[in-house]
Amino acid sequence: MRSPTGGAPKFLNLFHIRFPIGAMASIGHRISGVLLLIGLPLLALTLERSLSSEVAFESLWPAVASPWWGLLLVILVWAAAQHVLAGVRHLLMDIGIGSPLAQARTSAWAVILTAAIIALATAIRWLA
Amino acid sequence: MRVFVGQRAWLLQRASALALLLFLALGAALLLVGPPLTYERWHALATSLPGAVIIVLLFAALSLHGWIGARDIVLDYIHSMPARLSVLGIIAVILFAIVIRVALTMAAHLSLVT
Amino acid sequence: MHIRIYRYDPETGAQPHMQDYTIELESGDKKLLDVLMRLKNIDDSLSFRRSCREGVCGSDAMNINGRNGLACITALSTLKEPVVLRPLPGFPVIRDLVVDMTQFFAHYHEIKPYLINDDVPPERERLQTPEQRERLNGLYECILCACCSAFCPSYWWNPDKFIGPAGLLQAYRFIVDSRDTATAERLAYLDDVYRLYRCRTIMNCTEVCPKGLSPSHAIEGIRLELVRASS
Repeated sequence: MRSPTGGAPKFLNLFHIRFPIGAMASIGHRISGVLLLIGLPLLALTLERSLSSEVAFESLWPAVASPWWGLLLVILVWAAAQHVLAGVRHLLMDIGIGSPLAQARTSAWAVILTAAIIALATAIRWLA
Repeated sequence: MRVFVGQRAWLLQRASALALLLFLALGAALLLVGPPLTYERWHALATSLPGAVIIVLLFAALSLHGWIGARDIVLDYIHSMPARLSVLGIIAVILFAIVIRVALTMAAHLSLVT
Repeated sequence: MHIRIYRYDPETGAQPHMQDYTIELESGDKKLLDVLMRLKNIDDSLSFRRSCREGVCGSDAMNINGRNGLACITALSTLKEPVVLRPLPGFPVIRDLVVDMTQFFAHYHEIKPYLINDDVPPERERLQTPEQRERLNGLYECILCACCSAFCPSYWWNPDKFIGPAGLLQAYRFIVDSRDTATAERLAYLDDVYRLYRCRTIMNCTEVCPKGLSPSHAIEGIRLELVRASS
């Protein structure tokens, strides 16, 4: 059956929607997941390099000292922290722990802030 | 155990997440417990049979978990069937290649040791 | 009070636009719907649905300052100006704030929202213990206003295939009903990558439910029932 509103407009401008904190945690989970997926080939290459020779192993850390690799490291650390924390939150909520709204809001805030703090700490340590 | 079809991806996503959490704890223990992680210690651990198996399992779990997540994103945002199948195909090939390559690398290191 | 309202007239075919209204509040104006009704007297081209005007019928769901809610139970004192009113997100707009709910109700019917029990009916009624009846609380109160489904990103991306929070809440209401004997069939129907498993537990549904219900909790329950049924 063709709906009578076939060519009808839809309101779906995401900038005009006020997202609750849970939605922020969720989109953060998704974005960090994509970043980690992009980082996966890099992790495989790092593994190969770390095992190939002592020189290659020792050269891994100085490589991170370059600004671009450092920035990438901070981004991936944020992504890993965000994804793992949000993931644990979801695993617990799946079995009913923290799934009432008030608790879910608190844990969403906690995940976002903790991941940000971990990324910030990594950045500070990298700069120091 | 009978696993429903629709439920399978959801369950595997959670199972692989739990496995990855375990690997994460192992990795943290490796860095925090015992002597500092020098090349010798890392190489000995990683190229031992249990170490190599764990590393291959880690990448398999990462790839499986990443595949389910990527598929969810594609099902949400890409609705044209040709585009959907192309993107899924590319992701599958890359993830599969990564696991195979890591497995071959670890196998090569194992045979060098023995 | 300054109100900005999404306007769309299918007869002109013009693109939707936002129209500004300014209206003096009167002492009787308590809820958003009070003001909307008075605006309708001034500009009778303004279209929106309303019926019971007390949060029971679920007709006047709309996007109020970026969140879905019922105009009739939204207190004016809680709203920041300008009050921006848009139709439910992701639903086809028929006119102004009136959206096409066809698909939404199709998903409701799809989960068979009625008791299925082919056993011989008892002489008077199928009795429940207080505990069995208790399980329906927080589920049966749904008024099908669509605030939840229209605030669910997963429903926005796949409104044709994902049943959405409202439909899944109702599905769970019949799954946990002790008088219903079709639990296995209901679960088998929901076991689908689209119908149930598009939910990513964002919880936008629970955030906006004007009746304070928790569709996300119902979905959590369905997924656990499916785990139990499969092991």
